[in-house]
Amino acid sequence: MTSPTITVRQLSKWFGSVVALSDVSFDIGPGVTALLGPNGAGKSTLFRVLCGLANPSQGTVRIFDENPRANPELTRRMGIAPQQERLFERQTILEFVRIAAVLHRIPQPGEAALRAIETVELDPSDPRPLSAYSKGMRQRVKLAQALVNDPDLLVLDEPLEGLDPRQRLRSIELFRRLGDEGKTVIVSSHVLEEVERFGSRILVITQGRLVAEGPFSAIRDLMDDRPHRLRVGTDQPRALAAGLLTTGIVTGARIADNSIEVETSDAPSFRRSIALVARDCEARLTEVRALDDDLESVFAYLVGRK
Amino acid sequence: MKAEVAPSTFPTVWKVLVHSIATRLRVAGLSLLGLGAVALGLAIHLSHSANRPDAAWSLVDSFGLSLLIPVVALVFASAALGDLAEDGTLVYLWLRPLPRWQLALGAFTASVTVVAPVAVLPLVVGAAISGGGWRIAAAAAAGGMLATVAYSAVFCGLGLRVRRALAWGLAYLLIWEQAVARVSRGAARASLFISTRSLAAHVAQHPPPTNAVAWTTGLIFPIVVTIVALFLTARSLDRGEVT
Repeated sequence: MTSPTITVRQLSKWFGSVVALSDVSFDIGPGVTALLGPNGAGKSTLFRVLCGLANPSQGTVRIFDENPRANPELTRRMGIAPQQERLFERQTILEFVRIAAVLHRIPQPGEAALRAIETVELDPSDPRPLSAYSKGMRQRVKLAQALVNDPDLLVLDEPLEGLDPRQRLRSIELFRRLGDEGKTVIVSSHVLEEVERFGSRILVITQGRLVAEGPFSAIRDLMDDRPHRLRVGTDQPRALAAGLLTTGIVTGARIADNSIEVETSDAPSFRRSIALVARDCEARLTEVRALDDDLESVFAYLVGRK
Repeated sequence: MKAEVAPSTFPTVWKVLVHSIATRLRVAGLSLLGLGAVALGLAIHLSHSANRPDAAWSLVDSFGLSLLIPVVALVFASAALGDLAEDGTLVYLWLRPLPRWQLALGAFTASVTVVAPVAVLPLVVGAAISGGGWRIAAAAAAGGMLATVAYSAVFCGLGLRVRRALAWGLAYLLIWEQAVARVSRGAARASLFISTRSLAAHVAQHPPPTNAVAWTTGLIFPIVVTIVALFLTARSLDRGEVT
């Protein structure tokens, strides 16, 4: 069995009294792995530790069986696209990517830079400085400099942010292709639907903790199985609440003016039954709306579950 | 067709850093300060005073070595790694298979490359045209270059390690170099300003200024400071956290 590309054991990272990562352990091998979590969850801190930019406060990180800290030679096999937008603003795209190629000591840096720029579908002959580039173009410039040395490991921090839908699709296809070629691609995102399209293994991180990991389908099931809160608008709130409680579909109900808030652990059954119960109670439905379907609520649930 | 050979990495690091620190605003603003030395030299020349050598020495000592070179070196050197660390672009140099000393040396040489024409050259020109004699111009060149080298090394490290390096650097220059070292004999031995002015006074054959150290100390101390500062900057790049 081949050893994983990335091995993280009991990793913690804190800044003063703020805990950014807490007791995180996982292995990542070839293919695409998505790191999913809300903003401020600790994804970028984790990436910084993986790349050797920051020291773990506790625990160990191994990349290709080596410590990434104080190990510049390891970066030969790595390509990194950080989250921050700033580039060398006065350079052109070709100059910027060529600098990366030269610093990687690639024998033909000009050709390597051209290849990388063409891979991300930008124009290498663009004479404009990078300061004139849009957010989406900057994302692709960052990707180009990360690809220039044909790395075995790609670490991409929110690489789809700011891209238009077509470019998102193209980038996702590129990540999948690189994964299929046996490279290890780790991509962070805070958008669940985006991650679904990677068709990859997922690590869910929130509040600095790894709260779930596995294929997308398993994470999706986990999210569907959690208790849901819904608001039901009706002209007969008391009658409808009583009807729903009698059927056992909801575990609790709170009555307000012309609406009820219910809690259920079986959202699909609730959606199937609500119209029938309303008909039986002679109640008119004006609204059925999930109150906690945002990703933050999902993460909060996962944290509580852990 | 001739195949492209992998270029050396150091010139690229140097070029990136020169490009990064030599912004139009900085170069234009600080060149004006540098041109002040030329204007003062011209004014001394036109004064027809019998005291020209003393006035020329004051230009080198009180303007060049006290203000012009330390301030210009502070602005450029603290930006060499500091700006990149602050805006996050340092990762595009740090995350490459380069020895860290190459980044420290690249920042240092980039700073010297920019400070020398912006500050040392006008100081030498000002001293040369002042009519104070060739020794004054030689003193400006020797003291100015030594100060440029030492301050660049110190402020490169400062820019990397602290936020608001300009404020800390100015505080260091005002409190330590211009106040404490002028009045305390012990502090003078650990002052780049006192060292470089002592060397300059020796070259100019000017009477030793207050708290002067031996010219050999004035030469060796800044070189030692430069080496130690570069070592610490490289170590900081190696062991510290990169933003």
